[in-house]
Amino acid sequence: MEENIDHICEECRTKTAIHYTNGDSFFGPRLRTINHLELGYSKVLTNPFTIFLELLYVFYKKIRGAVSRMIAWLFPRRDRLYGTDLDSAVVGRLTFAARHELNTPIHGMKLELWARTRLLRQWRKLSEGYSDNDGTFSLPFEVRSVRNIRMAKRVHLEISEITNVFHSETEPPKPHYTLFHSIPLSKGEFIGMEYTVGAVQLAFWEYRKDAPTPRVVIKDHDEDAPEYYTKGRTDALIQQVIPIELTKLSHLERIDLEKKKMVKDKLTIQAIQKAYPENLTVCIEQRKPGYTRSDAWFGERMMNGMNKGCFVPDAENPSQYWMHYFGICNYAANNEYALPTASVKYALTSKGLPIPIEIHLVGQLDAFNTDPWQSRIFTPENAEDWLAAKRVVRTCGAVSTEIDEHFTGTHINTEQYAIAAFRNLRQNPVAWLLLPHLKEASLINHSADKLIIEGYLPTATALKTEGIKARTRDILGMQDWYDWHPMKPISEAHSYAKAEQLFWEIVGKYVDEFFAEHESAIKQYWYEIAAFSNDLVNHSVPEFMPKGALDGLSGREHALALQRKEYYCALYRFNPDAERVTVNGEIKAISRITTARNFAEALPEDFDRLKSACRYAIMTATFLHTWINEHQYDDLGEILYSCGGLRFGSEKRGVIAPESDLSIAPDLTRSTQMLWFTNLLSRTEYGFITRNEEGDVNPLFIRLLKEKEAEFTALGVDINAIESRTNI
Amino acid sequence: MNQPSSSNTARVPHRYFLPLFMRTLLDKMILYTLSKLFSWLIALFLSLPFRQRMSHNNGIAAEGSLRIVDNPEFPPNDFFAPGTVFPLRIRHASASFLDDATSNIRSISIKLSHERFKSPFDIELNTGRYSLFWSVRSFIHFANRRKEAWGVEYVRYVRQYPRGLDGAIDGLRRNPTSYRFMHYFSQTAYKYLDSTGIAHYAKYRVLPFGTDEDSGVDPEPCAWDITSERVLKNETRGRNYLKYEYEDALAKAPAKYRLQIQTRRMCDDDTPDVCNNMILWDETAYPWKDLAVLEVHKILDWEESTLTTFSVNNMPKTLGILPATSIYDGNSLNYMRAHSEIARKARLLSYKVFGMPPQIPDNDNRNVSNWGE
Repeated sequence: MEENIDHICEECRTKTAIHYTNGDSFFGPRLRTINHLELGYSKVLTNPFTIFLELLYVFYKKIRGAVSRMIAWLFPRRDRLYGTDLDSAVVGRLTFAARHELNTPIHGMKLELWARTRLLRQWRKLSEGYSDNDGTFSLPFEVRSVRNIRMAKRVHLEISEITNVFHSETEPPKPHYTLFHSIPLSKGEFIGMEYTVGAVQLAFWEYRKDAPTPRVVIKDHDEDAPEYYTKGRTDALIQQVIPIELTKLSHLERIDLEKKKMVKDKLTIQAIQKAYPENLTVCIEQRKPGYTRSDAWFGERMMNGMNKGCFVPDAENPSQYWMHYFGICNYAANNEYALPTASVKYALTSKGLPIPIEIHLVGQLDAFNTDPWQSRIFTPENAEDWLAAKRVVRTCGAVSTEIDEHFTGTHINTEQYAIAAFRNLRQNPVAWLLLPHLKEASLINHSADKLIIEGYLPTATALKTEGIKARTRDILGMQDWYDWHPMKPISEAHSYAKAEQLFWEIVGKYVDEFFAEHESAIKQYWYEIAAFSNDLVNHSVPEFMPKGALDGLSGREHALALQRKEYYCALYRFNPDAERVTVNGEIKAISRITTARNFAEALPEDFDRLKSACRYAIMTATFLHTWINEHQYDDLGEILYSCGGLRFGSEKRGVIAPESDLSIAPDLTRSTQMLWFTNLLSRTEYGFITRNEEGDVNPLFIRLLKEKEAEFTALGVDINAIESRTNI
Repeated sequence: MNQPSSSNTARVPHRYFLPLFMRTLLDKMILYTLSKLFSWLIALFLSLPFRQRMSHNNGIAAEGSLRIVDNPEFPPNDFFAPGTVFPLRIRHASASFLDDATSNIRSISIKLSHERFKSPFDIELNTGRYSLFWSVRSFIHFANRRKEAWGVEYVRYVRQYPRGLDGAIDGLRRNPTSYRFMHYFSQTAYKYLDSTGIAHYAKYRVLPFGTDEDSGVDPEPCAWDITSERVLKNETRGRNYLKYEYEDALAKAPAKYRLQIQTRRMCDDDTPDVCNNMILWDETAYPWKDLAVLEVHKILDWEESTLTTFSVNNMPKTLGILPATSIYDGNSLNYMRAHSEIARKARLLSYKVFGMPPQIPDNDNRNVSNWGE
């Protein structure tokens, strides 16, 4: 029987696995980028004439690109310097442009001075260099090389940033520089000695002041962003998302027509479900009805599914475990959806899989009893209620996993490392290590703000936007690289924890070998590490409920806060006793890596601390994110199985009701949006470690991962599906 | 700073631009032409019609004597023989503005004779260890960027050229107590052949005798306000207070100064930086040595002060200016000075044609550069 169900599950996993094609058709619908996706009606081109015009535009862009390439060929920028008597220099100082950072220098930026010949417009590189630690720079050049009558009037001071790092088996990592800012200068101003361009203020990876967490300023995601998606990433997304986008659009149109009473047949949740690709639970449910609602499946998914839950031994019976999903707590919420705090007690089967034996729900479960502290306990003996309680737990688990662990724990967490890294790491080889894994996180987070945090979640869950933002700030206050360690398996069947441990070891080995290879350069450019650490810590959110913060609370609030703190420490492997920095009266969540501006002054442990921080950042941006992201479709791909929020409904039983009571299920709009989201997020991954589509993954990392492929496969993990970065 | 400020990428040698000999020839032609052109422009459009020097119109001359020290520590030179006494004529001046109370570069010009022009040795020195410009090219740019209005000038120049700003900060003196108590520097390097024929570079400076006081230095210079040389608000000092003070002081006692020299042996591999007036010589390696003591006791009137003129061409063969190679060469400044005789002659001609310019009045027309403003 068990072998049979295992076989069914495996077949369904294979059947519902996401595949990537390169399909495209001449008159197929088109979409520009993920930035043009909308929760409602995305800007998808469906009219053939418009598509034709779009194709003409694409053709024009291709021609333009070809012309650009030809111009680059005709007027190459050769990497050699002209002039030998360096009797002059362009000097200046780079600072951030944000008004609160006008005196913060930008160090290590690459600068080049270019001129062109009058006649053939050939480029001549006059000088190159980097800004110093205080942001100042000096580009020495020969003044007569510029004043020469053969040279054109304009000279260009170009400031470049690292936008990518390319790795290969045979050559050292190669940072790719992109022009960030160009300052035209008149050669007539060059009279020998220094010519200063003064303080150059750059809107470069600026921290937002209006966000509760460390976020980067993105003024325009297509024109004025600190980074951009590559074409490959955009194409991959469009190919996967167009079909599901059309499905969602047809549903929204249909719902709109129904409201206008222009159609007779009503759209149903079942019809919506059927319109989207089959997911794991739907597949299994068709083959083995009732199994996905069973205790065994519930426990297995909580352990090894998207939720990858944290099991805390019961104080009285350590062979049993507790898992908590904290609900509304004190965050701003609506009165439409239930989001109680759910605690589940598990016992382990002989195979080591958890079986739920008790569910505690604290909080509002119906529209009538609004007491936020009401508590109900469910056991398997409750039969129908037990089924409903498990569904409530799945829903609470989905919200907690998506907001707390997925969005905050990986997306926002990665972005804070990304901002600090892109602002500070340039000449230090740690840039080559981190940047490929940290890129694009800020872009997808920016889209998530609009689509999810301010779009879908406030309408589909119990939390309001401000509540979600406050919650992300709190949860981020429990994320720290220091003392982080992978989850300990509680049994042989705990394959997620084993996979996490295995991946953590690989990342550790990768980081160790990288640091060993580049040790001297890492130490040489230690200032960048200090600046990275400073930005990381100074912009970190405060630690969530630091010691003493609970003193003002009393009774149930104190107990809940204490419970949350203790559980979060276990869930996020957060060491509350670690020494943390206080900045502006706030105890910061992230531990400092180093305070030394050069390695000679660094503490003996600082080098290892840096390694730990890098290891953690890579782990978060790759494995931890991928796991949740790719399993969303498995665990959130069936509307009646699990969703973002169950409505209170109109009956006194509230959410403790069977799946057949559609008044508590998400409405039609939320249903199609949910499936659209889970498909979008799980199906449009791009930038996998082993596929290395853009050549930006270190071959060492790929080799180490492939060496463990068999072990991962035994744990049910496809290493080819692990992303190298958080970009969806 | 633990990062390189520039890369080590190989540089393309000069032969890709112009053959070196062609460039050298062209450089010298440009230098000669520009120097002559500039001098003629000054002569035709400033000295002749307006009876003005190119700068330093606001000054006062005096006479006295100069005595070479008895035990010189500098390389021996026949002209500067120990104990030699020369007749002396000096002229103190402010570089711009006909108002002593403005913030200004101050100067002392020295002539070893009591003549108006003829002299075996002239030297011109300004306050500040270095200047606001460092070559003919930069000087022309500097002159072109003056844009003076009511006591504010060189705003854009100082903003664009950090060394110009350094020169301004170092050279400007506001409300010094006396011309006698400031430090003056030749800034540019001169030729110095010692008695054995060994060639040296030389720089000169003048310090007050018996004190190290350097009056008028701004203790808190401000980069974006340095170009405002305006008279301070509620200033009680008059337009001629420095000249009057000098007259009064000399009426009581002679003014004494120390003339010092800094020498540096010429080498084949000297870089252009050696003659760059913006790059100071290390005073430990090349210390200042006492050259002579100046004693000034007689004030000259306005007419004589105005007629007294100095030239870098007034030097013995063993001293003199250094050859310049291009308009970017540090020595080109003295080269251009040496080629500016026409401007001096035009000014003297204008005095004969139009009469002497009037003395600077003691009125409340402050912050002005020209008579009649």
